[in-house]
Amino acid sequence: MLTVRGLHKTYRRHSVEVKVLQGLDLEVRDSEFLAIVGASGSGKSTLLHLMGTLDQPDSGEVLLEGQRIDNLPGKIRDQLRNQTFGYIFQFYHLLPELTALENVLMPAMIANSVSRWFGNRKELRRRATELLERFGLGKRLKHRPRELSGGELQRTAIARALICQPRILLADEPTGNLDAENGQDIVRILRELNGRDGVTIVMVTHNMELAAGCDRIVKLVGGRVENPRVEAALTA
Amino acid sequence: MYIYMLWMRYLKARRQAYICIVCVMLGVATLIVVNSVMSGFSTKLRNGLHDLQSDIVIESTDQIYGFPYTAEAMMEHIRRSPAAEHIRAMAPSVELFALAQFRANGHSWSQQVRLVGIDPKYQRQLEGFSEYLMQDERKTNPSFELDPAALHHYEWFHPPLRPNQVGLIPNQPPAPVVADQIPLPPLKGQEDKPLKKLEELPPIDNTPLVIQKPHGIILGCALASTRVPATPTTPAHDSFFVDRGDTVAVYTLGSEGFEPVWDEFVVCDYIQTGMADFDSSTVFVPLDRLQRIRTMEGRVNTIQVRLNDPTQLNQVKKLLQNLFPPDYVHVSTWEDKRGVLLAAISIERGILNLLLFLIIGVAGFGILAIFSMIVTEKTRDIGILKSLGASSRGIWSIFLGYGLLLGLVGAGLGTALGLLITRNINEIEQWVGRRTGKELFSRDVYYFKEIPTNVNVQHVLLIIAGAVLIAVVFSILPARKAARLKPVQALRFE
Repeated sequence: MLTVRGLHKTYRRHSVEVKVLQGLDLEVRDSEFLAIVGASGSGKSTLLHLMGTLDQPDSGEVLLEGQRIDNLPGKIRDQLRNQTFGYIFQFYHLLPELTALENVLMPAMIANSVSRWFGNRKELRRRATELLERFGLGKRLKHRPRELSGGELQRTAIARALICQPRILLADEPTGNLDAENGQDIVRILRELNGRDGVTIVMVTHNMELAAGCDRIVKLVGGRVENPRVEAALTA
Repeated sequence: MYIYMLWMRYLKARRQAYICIVCVMLGVATLIVVNSVMSGFSTKLRNGLHDLQSDIVIESTDQIYGFPYTAEAMMEHIRRSPAAEHIRAMAPSVELFALAQFRANGHSWSQQVRLVGIDPKYQRQLEGFSEYLMQDERKTNPSFELDPAALHHYEWFHPPLRPNQVGLIPNQPPAPVVADQIPLPPLKGQEDKPLKKLEELPPIDNTPLVIQKPHGIILGCALASTRVPATPTTPAHDSFFVDRGDTVAVYTLGSEGFEPVWDEFVVCDYIQTGMADFDSSTVFVPLDRLQRIRTMEGRVNTIQVRLNDPTQLNQVKKLLQNLFPPDYVHVSTWEDKRGVLLAAISIERGILNLLLFLIIGVAGFGILAIFSMIVTEKTRDIGILKSLGASSRGIWSIFLGYGLLLGLVGAGLGTALGLLITRNINEIEQWVGRRTGKELFSRDVYYFKEIPTNVNVQHVLLIIAGAVLIAVVFSILPARKAARLKPVQALRFE
């Protein structure tokens, strides 16, 4: 479903060049729960950003359903990020001035102009409330992020990622800031989304335990996928 | 939709927004108050200038000789012309420079004055005369009659004359002195001349006294008084050193231009217009008397014209110019006469407005600074929004719209504050005066009882528009910075 080919990405900082990705190839299959692991600085987050068009590669291609998406005009990429991809970050990244419910609704508010919003308002609110209740946040709808715990924040972020019914979820170290119990909770939710709802999930993590529960594990070494032949053999 | 939602949320939640709003509010309020007060003063000045000058003035080119026609003939000529339908009233007058000699408290002094001979029954039809006379009866019924107290004061020092006694008629030789009746010792060398006998004395004159009617003069009040500043017990007031019933001698040129003429007038009243240069230099005398002493009976050198519609100055001026030969007659509007002063007023106002707008410019820089702060603080949030699919254009409109919103709210509050202060400016001035012990708006200097204000709706709208524009313009740079942020870097921003 989502393919990357020959990705190169280099960061330049104070005349120091860091070659993060050096010709990476990867394929994500439909309804797959993929884990990307690797040492710190191996480019896992960079890969995720490139896959979700949050950033553009120096060279290489990103393809969604066979169509190139990395070179599309900005407006279309904005739309992709809004409708097709869902993001979950390590630090939650919720807007502090908004309530939990409003945070979840934010992608929908971006998608809808004022007139369309007032038409769909009830339906969208219902959907957002349902998602939050599903993740056990039914009593926290009107709370601001500063009033929520880490686990609750991440669950709110997951609900936000799902409001526009995306095809693929990209999770960057979703449990990185949480304790073991909350972390397990999050992964359980993700697995449920993947298993029950068939949502494709790509998760970056450095926790091998969590990665173990996924359909497939891909390890990044030296800016590339390690032993692609070996990995292919495993899934064959 | 998210844009509008964030506007409202950021407006309420961020405290820096309030500072921006206050900046704009104060700037707008200041501009409104200052503009209203300046406009009030300048309107008052303009009205004052217009008041004392009739709409149109017809003058003779030879000021000393006057028109070569009689005043009646000229006015009749005007009444029969197409200009007549625009004219409400006309008044003939003789206006000339003169020297006035005053006597009071044993001193005498002279001063150059503008001598104006008028006929009260014409002059009251024009504005700018009767309402400024100080005695209340004269305001509605102007005349040069002395009131009883003044007449008494005058006659005390100037007893009524017999017909064969000398009156103050100019250019007549003095009559023989009656002192011949008293026998004097013979002069040296004339001892042989016989003394007159008692029988030869002329009989006692029993003819009735002729009360010589004095001719009244109306003085500009500053000629006859000084302003006494306020003391803790008394308010500021005028103290008159030339009283009603005192005499004033007026010297000027006759109409031929060769001989000086003079006459003695008796003060019947004062005129107080509030315009300093007028009140300290103008005197009014009866027109017929002035014509007589200048040997120009029936003729004048000025005709003042009041129009039905004050906006038609220049049309009527042209109509009147066509009636008389320009060699003898010069027609001007009041604006022509006072044009320089008016122009100076409007230039001053223009400059002041420019300076004051710089105040709002400063508020604009405040907005720039605060917005840049907000953008920096919100870098991460902008990254979040972009990752959720917000476009650069959307981010632009969030911040630009935020600037617009702050500008509108600030301008709205500023207008309310400005209008409130303007409406209550006198109370505020008095309160401040009481607190600090100093009078802010010295009643000694100004004749106004209150600070004049004039709120011009057009100007207020302009000020609001300008403030909002500045708010938007100064939010452009921060908005641009925000829109250009790259999602990944923004998300990583600490």
